[in-house]
Amino acid sequence: MAEPKNSVKTQAGASLQEIGMRKRLNAWAANHQLVAVETLMRLLSNPLGSLLTWMVIAIALTLPGALWMALDNMEQLSGRFQASGRITLYLTPKATEQQGQQLSDRIAALDSVANTEFIDADTALDDFRDNSGLQAALDFLPENPLPAVILVEPPLGIEQAALLRLIEQLKSYQLVDSVQLDMAWVERLQAMLALAERLIGVLGVLLALAILLVVGNTIRLAIAARVDEIRVVKLVGGTNAYVRRPFLYTGLWYGMVGGLLAWLLLILCWALLNGPVADLAELYGSGFELKPLSAGAAMALLLAAMLLGWLGAWWSVSRHLDHIEP
Amino acid sequence: MTMVQFDRVGKRYPGGKEALSGISFELARGEFAFLTGHSGAGKSTLLKLMMLMERPSRGQVFVDGQNLGRLRAGQIPYLRRKVGVVFQNHQLLFDRSVFDNVALPLQIAGYTPAEAGRRVRAALDSVGLLGMEKRNPIELSGGEQQRVGIARAVVNKPALLLADEPTGNLDPELSAEIMNLFLRFQQVGVTVLIASHDIALIEHMGHRRLILDHGHLHEGQIAGAGGIYG
Repeated sequence: MAEPKNSVKTQAGASLQEIGMRKRLNAWAANHQLVAVETLMRLLSNPLGSLLTWMVIAIALTLPGALWMALDNMEQLSGRFQASGRITLYLTPKATEQQGQQLSDRIAALDSVANTEFIDADTALDDFRDNSGLQAALDFLPENPLPAVILVEPPLGIEQAALLRLIEQLKSYQLVDSVQLDMAWVERLQAMLALAERLIGVLGVLLALAILLVVGNTIRLAIAARVDEIRVVKLVGGTNAYVRRPFLYTGLWYGMVGGLLAWLLLILCWALLNGPVADLAELYGSGFELKPLSAGAAMALLLAAMLLGWLGAWWSVSRHLDHIEP
Repeated sequence: MTMVQFDRVGKRYPGGKEALSGISFELARGEFAFLTGHSGAGKSTLLKLMMLMERPSRGQVFVDGQNLGRLRAGQIPYLRRKVGVVFQNHQLLFDRSVFDNVALPLQIAGYTPAEAGRRVRAALDSVGLLGMEKRNPIELSGGEQQRVGIARAVVNKPALLLADEPTGNLDPELSAEIMNLFLRFQQVGVTVLIASHDIALIEHMGHRRLILDHGHLHEGQIAGAGGIYG
C-alpha cells in the first residue's frame, strides 16, 4: 500500500514534509531577517511620511526623559546639601565655660570642619528668654536648665561619609552629651523630589499611552494600505504570525528611530542648559555640573521606545488584521 | 482515492440567501472536472468552501481526507498550502516582480531562497513565462497575468488545483491555451476543478461536468475530446 501513496506524493507533491526541521528553522530566521531589513527600508524610503510619527514618539519620550535628567541632577545636588546641615553639640552640665571654649577651638581646627561657635549656658538662657516669651516662668527656675552648646559648620559640599565620620568623632569627646544634625529642610527637599519622581512616573505612563496610540494608528494606516497583499498572503497559506511580522517590525523600527531622536534631543537639551547652569553654580561657589543622561539610561530609553513601538503595532494588528480574510 | 468529498453541504449567507443546498459529490485524486452554472449559481461559494474562505452551514467537506469542519483557525493556512487557486482577476501584487509573486507561497511555506528560486523557475517554465521573471505583472497582457497566477497556484505542487473563471477575461484562443495548461497539470497527477461558464469551451474539451443551478447540483457528462468520465 505504501507504493501508490509514495508515487502520488512525488507526483502531486505534499512538499512541506520534505523540508527538514532544521531547514525550516533556518528559513524562519531568514524570513525574520528579510522582513526586518525590508520594513526598515520601506520606512527609510519614505522618510517624510515616517518623520511625523518618529517626531511624535521622540517628543513624547524627550519630555519625561528631560524631567528625569533634571531630577537625577537635583538628587545629586540634594546629596551635597544633605551634608551642609549645621551640627549642634550639647555639652554635659559639668563642662566649664573655659573647657567649652577650648573644645570649640579644637574642633574648629579639624580638617572636616569649616567653622565653630561656642555658646555658654548663660548666653543660651538669655537667648531663650528673649525668643520664647517664657521670661516669667524661667525666672522661677532655681538654676539654668540649658547646657552650653557648640555649633559646628561642616564645609560646603562635604561627602556624606565624611560627615558621618565627623559626627562619630564629635560624639567621642567626653564633654559632649549629645549631637544633633539639623536636617529638617533636607528631608523636606527629599520629600519634594519623591513627589516629583512620582509625577514624572505618571506623566511617563500617559506619554507611553500616547506613543501606543500613535504607533497603533500609523500601523492601522499601513495595514489599510496593504489589504490586497494581506488577502493574497492569507490565500496562499500565510499564517497570522507571517502576516503580522512585517507590521510588528515596522512598529519596532518606529520605536527605535523615535528613541534615537529622543536621545539626540536630550543631548541637545543638556548642551543648551549646561553652560548657564555652570555659570549659576559658579556664582554660588559650587562646582556643580549638569550631568548628561547616562549610557544606561539612554539604553533604557531606547529599549522602552522599541518595546512601546512593538506593543503599539501588536495592539493595532490584533485589532485589524484578523478581520481581513480572503 | 478521494481528493474532495462534499456530503450534503448547504450554505446560507447571513441575510437568508441560500447559496448552496444539499450538495454531495466526490472528486477522485487526479481527476479533471468543470463546475458550471449561471452566474450566482453558487460556483464561487463551492470553491471557497474547499479553501475554508467560507464555512458550510450544513454538511461536511473533506479535502485530501481531512474533515474541514474539524480544522481550527490556526490550521487553515496549512490546508491552503495544499490547495492552489486561480482567480479570474488573478490577485497578483503589482508592487513586486513576477518572480516574487510566484515565490510568495514558497516564502510563506519556509523554503530557502535557493530552493524557492529553482521551483519558481520550474513553475514559470511550465506556463511558458520563463523569460519574464523580472518584469512587473502590470506590464503583462491579460493572458500572461493569468499564467503568472497559475504559476503561483502550482509552485508549491498542490494536490488540488481550483480555478474560478480563469478564462473570464480572455479571448477564445487564449482561453483554450489556459485550459490546456490545466490539463497538463492533471496529467502529472494534480486534481483539477475549474469553475467556468464558458460552455462552448467546456463542451469542446469534454470531461466531467458538475452543474450548479440555483444552489443545487446536477451531474452532467459530455462526450468529447477528453473522453468520458463516469
